[in-house]
Amino acid sequence: MDKNRQGAKASYVAFFAFVAIWIMSPSFVRMGTREAFVEFQAPALHLVAKGRDLARFWELKSKSAEELAAASRDLARINAALELKVRTLEDIRQENIRLRELARYAAPREFLTIVARVASRDSTSWWHRIVLRKGRSDGVRPGCPVVFSDRVIGKVSLVHLNTCEVDLVTSPNFRCTAYLEGDEQGRIVLVSGLPANSLGTARARIAVIPMDYLPSAGQSSKVVTTGMGGVFPAGLIIGTLDANIRTTQEGNFKEGTLQPSRNLFSLQEVSVLVPIHPAAGEILLEKRYEDFQ
Amino acid sequence: MSWSWLIILLATYPWLFAADLMSDWTAPWGINVFISGAAIVLPCSRLRRWQAVLFSGCVGFLFEARRPIPDGILALALVAAAIFLTSNKPLLRSAPRLLRASLIVNLAAITLWFSAVALTLGQLSFRNLGDFLPQLLLQLIASALVTLILFWPLSLSQIAALDYINAPLANETP
Repeated sequence: MDKNRQGAKASYVAFFAFVAIWIMSPSFVRMGTREAFVEFQAPALHLVAKGRDLARFWELKSKSAEELAAASRDLARINAALELKVRTLEDIRQENIRLRELARYAAPREFLTIVARVASRDSTSWWHRIVLRKGRSDGVRPGCPVVFSDRVIGKVSLVHLNTCEVDLVTSPNFRCTAYLEGDEQGRIVLVSGLPANSLGTARARIAVIPMDYLPSAGQSSKVVTTGMGGVFPAGLIIGTLDANIRTTQEGNFKEGTLQPSRNLFSLQEVSVLVPIHPAAGEILLEKRYEDFQ
Repeated sequence: MSWSWLIILLATYPWLFAADLMSDWTAPWGINVFISGAAIVLPCSRLRRWQAVLFSGCVGFLFEARRPIPDGILALALVAAAIFLTSNKPLLRSAPRLLRASLIVNLAAITLWFSAVALTLGQLSFRNLGDFLPQLLLQLIASALVTLILFWPLSLSQIAALDYINAPLANETP
């Protein structure tokens, strides 16, 4: 029994020594540990996500020939309409390039689209995240915007070898600038995620709304990205502004709540927009990562 | 015997992964299914101290890996719990005691990481206590329910793995 007590004492001493070493250890040690455990779990995550895809495939395969014919007819119509739109947009694009050259205006950032399936979702009061089945090996980088159609879903926060983690619009770590629909002066507001109540709807906060801004009556105003800050392209929809806007305690601005544009936890597939030319901040981040490796 | 902690970890991992899949399902309600605390109790009753420490540390790191929890908080807490449990094996001699210990360790661990994240985000203060406590309570209730439901199947798979490696029964060796 004494031997046991002595062993326990020695273990507690060793434990506190280890805690001290852990706290003082450089960040690459902790990052390396985290990365090792993420990669250990990655195959299981891929396997389950692929199993889900297979189940969906068989579900679709069981559809009748009539249903498939109707779906393909609808798609053909949508394709025809989109082709027409693409031609119109191509003319506008050419004109845009010519005008930018004339005005010597800096070209906007160009993005490469990577389509990624959602592997898992994770949420508590303190974070709202999804894990995607695309990672460093597919060219995804930290900070890349994640969208679905023309709607903002979130931002890549961590990238692993074959997976990446995305902080959703409602996650407390999410920040971006936006314009409000109906504000003709184009003043900038700040969107940031809010810690959510469990069992409640996850939302974000819109701050720095000008005092004289009045939302359109009877309809919720859209909140769109500004394109400033170099993360999100301009004009993407982040969500809608709830009707109950209130004045801040200081009385110099108003603030409101953002309703996300989609149910963020029902998404199956999203697009990661990877900037073709990395920004200065990203280059620094990558260099740091290479140093770490 | 030296790799028995790894064999138990591999036997426990499917349950930890199943909890993650359940978290995926409960994500729209903001509830996280957490069983990592409960998963270390039975192995602590039969593994040697250093093996239990390695096993508990890995279980903690597996949960932390994909979540924005301050590095090592949960893993170190589970290691401390493992040292305590392996030093007091008589506390884990019968099934009801094991169940009680599983509940206590799981609830203590969830309270720790939930509070640590709130503190990191600046949400843990007297002003926010009214918002924080109901959230914590909800997580605790969910976690306690999951522990009660999964305790028997989790224990059976761990006992099978412990028997496979011929780990001695509780109270024999520290």
